[in-house]
Amino acid sequence: MAEDSPIIRTYVVVTNLGAAVAAAIRPHDQASVTERQPAMTSRSPETERIQPQPPHHRDRSLTLEIDSLTKSYGDTTVVDGLTFTVQPGRVTGFLGPNGSGKSTTMKMLLGLASADKGRATIGGIRYRNLPDPARTLGVVLEPNAFHPGRSGRNHLRIQAEATGIPASQVDEMLRLVDLSREAANRRVGTYSLGMKQRLSLALALLGDPPVLILDEPGNGLDPRGIRTLRDNLATRAANGDTVFVSSHLLSEVEQLADDLVVINEGRLVAAGSINDLRRTSALVRTTDSAELAMALEHIGGKVNRQDADTLVVEGLSTEDIGELAYHQSVVLHELSLNEGSLEEMFMAWTGNASSANPSISGKNEVPA
Amino acid sequence: MKNAQLVRSEIRRITTTRMPLAFLVMLGAFAALNAAVVAWGADADGTQAFLSTALDQQSLVSFSANSVIIAGIFGATAIARGYGHGTVVHIFLATPRRLHAQVAQFTAVALGGAVLGLAGVVMTTAAVVAALPSTDYGFMISIGDMVRLLAASSFAGAAGALLGAGIGAVVRNTGGAVTGAVLMLVMAPPLIVQIAGGAADWIPPTLANVVSGVSNETTVLAAIAALALWAGVPAALGLVSTARRDVV
Repeated sequence: MAEDSPIIRTYVVVTNLGAAVAAAIRPHDQASVTERQPAMTSRSPETERIQPQPPHHRDRSLTLEIDSLTKSYGDTTVVDGLTFTVQPGRVTGFLGPNGSGKSTTMKMLLGLASADKGRATIGGIRYRNLPDPARTLGVVLEPNAFHPGRSGRNHLRIQAEATGIPASQVDEMLRLVDLSREAANRRVGTYSLGMKQRLSLALALLGDPPVLILDEPGNGLDPRGIRTLRDNLATRAANGDTVFVSSHLLSEVEQLADDLVVINEGRLVAAGSINDLRRTSALVRTTDSAELAMALEHIGGKVNRQDADTLVVEGLSTEDIGELAYHQSVVLHELSLNEGSLEEMFMAWTGNASSANPSISGKNEVPA
Repeated sequence: MKNAQLVRSEIRRITTTRMPLAFLVMLGAFAALNAAVVAWGADADGTQAFLSTALDQQSLVSFSANSVIIAGIFGATAIARGYGHGTVVHIFLATPRRLHAQVAQFTAVALGGAVLGLAGVVMTTAAVVAALPSTDYGFMISIGDMVRLLAASSFAGAAGALLGAGIGAVVRNTGGAVTGAVLMLVMAPPLIVQIAGGAADWIPPTLANVVSGVSNETTVLAAIAALALWAGVPAALGLVSTARRDVV
């Protein structure tokens, strides 16, 4: 088919490479991303039988919807009624401690594991019903999921052949992830972890998919590789693609993601834009901290004492706190939004699932 | 078209590692053993009567019984290693309808088994032909019988590979799957025969020999059907297991 011709496919890749270079020069422009962000895609089950479309005509704005997803292994519930949405045009970080259910959630979304309850869809369609999964969704799950005796190039060729992607795309992807011809022809068993990760990324990007689901994509990459990856993902999101990234490297997520989904013990504990999540607590400095803390708790605030004079208040706006202090005749020396680091927030969210910030956990849709 | 693509990619998956080479080396060793038997072997009376008739030579180069066993190990390894290395994830991401993907994979493995069976006969025959000048006998197998040997060995190889593939899909561990295939094809049949003597006619090596025309315990059609059943049941169990269980 003409739409599958190597020339067009090459054009798509070259366009993305150009955009990646542009993104590396110019920092990610949040405003432009928001402007380009399309409305949430919602499809009825009838529309699941859509025909494959040419790559350049495909809808690149696909929302990932996780709805009441539940999965148990024996008596252990690893994902428990998980509900959240990942919007196109954004890079969404997926965080949680080891064993919190991130990988299982991703596997259920990808149809590799079955859900006991709930539904996970891509643009309203379950993965197994996608008409052209390789051109819809790119996945990095495990960097070591390669046969050590097969060359990197052959891994890509097999995937291209299985999915009807032109073989010419293989060389483009190898170039994109910076794997040399010599390395690509070598057996994967001789690769470093970083090279395997690059190969995983090449596999994920082979079909130029509008949705990327990446589990620890920076694992093993050198700083230059991480920078290239970050730029590429930001560029894709800026073009309206959906990027969902799981990582343990909080500093990496902080630089990469626009939105966050945080789970702990299989349950959602926080979701929203990083900026909004950062501003969910207020810092209050006063000499009458005991009296003010009691009053704040009385009107529903959650108060943590940082030191003798300083309170961290969650669940109330700075306006609420200021007015209450005025009515209580409490002198304030400082009242500000508490912009903690992602690490501090992560520790607070995941320290104890039951202590999750109620103002956050109730808000389970990543904002557009 | 899509199914042909999948089968092609699965064939590439099999042929882009050294595994087929290892099996070909094994076949080469078998062939060399046959050549050595022809060159230096003798019956109890010191003659080489085992080469004296066309049927004797046909029995010598018939590879079907070996094909079932070797291809069984091949099939078990080819499928189970995908789970061991995690490459099965790529297969089911590319083709989320797991049954389609698995049928394509089984087809490729069965083709691989058939090729191994064919190669086994060709290499063994070539080795025997090369060794015959050192004896008093010439090559006596007719073209028709040779074609039958080739076809039977290919069929036996395909059946064995399918049987091994089914075990591989159920067990999902290379060591366990190979052990399972060996148990089923090598160790279990003699034990079954010990328990039920009549079963000797229906074990895979006997059936493969009947298809080759070097044995006549049952009819050829019955042997083909029984061998297909030996392969079909594990393969069907493998397909059901793949469709129902989580991939990882």
